Amino acid sequence: MIRDLERVRNIGISAHIDSGKTTLTERILFYTDKIHKISEVRGKDGVGAVMDSMELEKERGITIASAATYCEWDKHNINIIDTPGHVDFTVEVERSLRVLDGVVLILCSVSGVQSQSITVDQQMKRYQVPCIAFVNKCDRSGANPLKVSIQLKEKLGHNSVMMQLPIGLEDKHEGVIDLVAMKAYYFEGENGEVRAVKDIPEDMMEDARVAREEMIDEVSLFSEELTDAILEEADITEELIMAAVRTGTIARQMTPVFLGSAYKNKAVQPLMDAVINYLPSPLDIDNEALDMDNNEETVILESSFDKPTVALAFKLEDGQYGQLTYIRVYQGCINKGDTLINSRDGKKFKAGRLIRMHSSQMEEVDAIPAGHIGAMFGIDCASGDTFVSSQINYSMIAMHVMEPVISLSIVPKDNKAQINMSKALNRFTKEDPTFKTYVDHETGDTIIQGMGELHLEVYVERMKREYDAEVETGRPRVAYRETITRKAEFNYTHKKQTGGAGQFGRVAGFMEPCEDEFEFVNKITGGRIPTNYIPACEKGFKGCMDKGPKLEFPVTDIKITINDGAFHAVDSSEMAFKSAARGAFLEGYAKAKPVVKEPIMKVVIETPNEFQGSCMGLINQRRGIIQGSQEEGVMSVIESQVPLADMFGFSTVLRSGTQGKAQFTMEFSSYKQVPQSIAEEIAREKQEEKSKKNN
Amino acid sequence: MLKKDLISKSPVSRTIGIENVKDGKFGAVLSRAGVGKTAFLVQIALTQLLNDNKILHISLDDPIEKINIRYKEGYTNLVDSIGYVDPQKAVRLWDDIQNQKVGISYTETTFDTDKIRDYLKSFKKAELALPSVLIIDGLNFDHDVSKTLDELESLNNEFSIFIWFSMKNHREEDLCEDGFPIQLETHKDRFDKAVFLKPVEDKIEAVILKDGDRTDQRDRLDPATMMLVG
Repeated sequence: MIRDLERVRNIGISAHIDSGKTTLTERILFYTDKIHKISEVRGKDGVGAVMDSMELEKERGITIASAATYCEWDKHNINIIDTPGHVDFTVEVERSLRVLDGVVLILCSVSGVQSQSITVDQQMKRYQVPCIAFVNKCDRSGANPLKVSIQLKEKLGHNSVMMQLPIGLEDKHEGVIDLVAMKAYYFEGENGEVRAVKDIPEDMMEDARVAREEMIDEVSLFSEELTDAILEEADITEELIMAAVRTGTIARQMTPVFLGSAYKNKAVQPLMDAVINYLPSPLDIDNEALDMDNNEETVILESSFDKPTVALAFKLEDGQYGQLTYIRVYQGCINKGDTLINSRDGKKFKAGRLIRMHSSQMEEVDAIPAGHIGAMFGIDCASGDTFVSSQINYSMIAMHVMEPVISLSIVPKDNKAQINMSKALNRFTKEDPTFKTYVDHETGDTIIQGMGELHLEVYVERMKREYDAEVETGRPRVAYRETITRKAEFNYTHKKQTGGAGQFGRVAGFMEPCEDEFEFVNKITGGRIPTNYIPACEKGFKGCMDKGPKLEFPVTDIKITINDGAFHAVDSSEMAFKSAARGAFLEGYAKAKPVVKEPIMKVVIETPNEFQGSCMGLINQRRGIIQGSQEEGVMSVIESQVPLADMFGFSTVLRSGTQGKAQFTMEFSSYKQVPQSIAEEIAREKQEEKSKKNN
Repeated sequence: MLKKDLISKSPVSRTIGIENVKDGKFGAVLSRAGVGKTAFLVQIALTQLLNDNKILHISLDDPIEKINIRYKEGYTNLVDSIGYVDPQKAVRLWDDIQNQKVGISYTETTFDTDKIRDYLKSFKKAELALPSVLIIDGLNFDHDVSKTLDELESLNNEFSIFIWFSMKNHREEDLCEDGFPIQLETHKDRFDKAVFLKPVEDKIEAVILKDGDRTDQRDRLDPATMMLVG
């Protein structure tokens, strides 16, 4: 691996589903001589694109897990993470962004900035990842890269600057004009591998001149030297422009826009140049960690090989040789045989086989130095763990992980499936923090939880294919929550005298709604409850949060304050105060107007204009609230908020209502109170379930 | 309480009258470009939202984000006009009412009453309350819009939804004999109400051109906020 970090790039490729991410990655790998045959994504030739290593991905034409790969371009090492496009798998995108230094944001030249691009963009903002844009599919009918660049400005607030002009569009798309070099690039050879550099066609010269001037004007904001050169009418060199673009891009002040068609092998090589020229190297980025021995103080990591090692496990995969842990090294260097510590649990382990990946093929290496992405075999860890040398105790800042909103019961079909299912679940939960599983003690069913219907469907499918575990699924269930809506007081005495030592404890105070999941405030004075019993009180209250008294859903957003109580020198115990707290919770809860809350999803539909009215109707019929609708060319985008409970089976309804021409994305937005009538229905269902169980 | 206070402070309460906002079929807010038609239409819509009604706002000029910003601005101006308001209460109320508003952005060529009809029908199908007011901002009355107005009239008949339009007139055009801009004159029989906004000194004067007893009534508005002055 290259040790000169200026020649290393860790990049991600992010975009809306079907924008051509996987095709672009394929082309990049082809041009960098890593693969010698280009396979189409949907597997017409039965091979399938190299990046989509999972069978299921090949079949559905979507990329589920981010496969990491590396390549070399112009003496630079580029590590690429291919990220999934569907919102249900957003945690994958988030994890990738956490370890990347830059992103190529792919946009479709026909559809432009779509709903998912907005989600991905928000994630890039959260992790402050610089990006360049690639307007793909310029060969498609209706292609309009300029419109897309404007949309980047208007919809995402990027300072987008066109760095190229297309030579022809739609079926006449031949190549691009580089506005920095003022040259025309054409792509010849069977797979466009030969870049022919020619003069700009005469009929485009004037347009190119104007576009270059506009570009230089925008870019000059980031370089005094360039501004001086313009004012002094001196020579404006390519290096001067490129340095300014690089500064602006790394500072996230501008987004250079490139264009082409990955599918038609047009202008992928200039994009690779741009990755090297404009996206940051590990040296350009400040990475932070928390010093666990020093009050979690923030420390800046140095991409130096001599410093103690700090690495982050950002993805786990269970392959045929055991668990493969994808890591990014931020500081120091992991050598084969090094002893490292997992800072989460303090466990020591030895770094065994180190590899770097090219999709599902791997290449063994002796070391993974700072700034690089690689993988290790045989490490027992979870996604998001930090590995450090023994001298330090750092933890990388926790990643933003969302709580699951939907659950499904699964029952294995036979004994063999039972064993395989638990293996599969064990792996999936380690790989994906938004995928959770538990056993419902009342029914004995295994429950899986995730971020959407498709998210769970894919895991059920993977269980069957990869682990030969066939399971029957129950009806998807929404993760309802309970909470209170007003302040209420409690004053409960727990007293038991049934021979032997008695139990006594009194707990008084109040509960009120709050923004956090659970807050406990101790305002006991004068030793009315001895300090050693306070944790028992807190435990007692907290224990009630798992199953709400109203409808047995988890309780959230409650602040408990205790300010009075009483104890008995002989009869009080931790157990007694725990019971007293439970009684106090029930007493207060009943008075605090409890309500049921449900997950509300942000649903964005993209539909041909003629179905706009009927699509809005579909949302109306699902207790949805339409926030707005916008027409963009021949398509309309409808943004809405819809309760998850009413979204089951929506894809089928939408397909049949729009002749299969509309698509939608869905992501969790917030929890909102359930209307009274629905709450009554949920209560009735719960009651029925209970009586069924009792019979 | 806050709702009532806000409604009473609305410029619409004095100019058009809250009860009167949806009384009839068509209403128009007229002015030259940049005087405040959209801001005034937003105030009309806000009175409906504050009265727990739904509204549908169609813009042929602005993208959806801009429509949303205009409403937020209009609401903030209204809140500011009543002096101190508990900010949390104001935010909660905004969260409640903004969900009752649906904004749709079209271009002049894609604007189609059939799509609106489809959408309104879905309310009936789902047994939901229909929007009380439809706002159409940006229809160009310099063109022949008779057919569109015919269609919208039938929409009004079918769903009893009052429609407020913005109507742009031009500086260089003279007013007609009855004091109406030419854009209104052509369709004046269709309109039950018309408010003309014109800059007078450093204020905006809202003149009721057409609305029964209120005709010729004049009120002064702050050009920055569209709130009543004096």
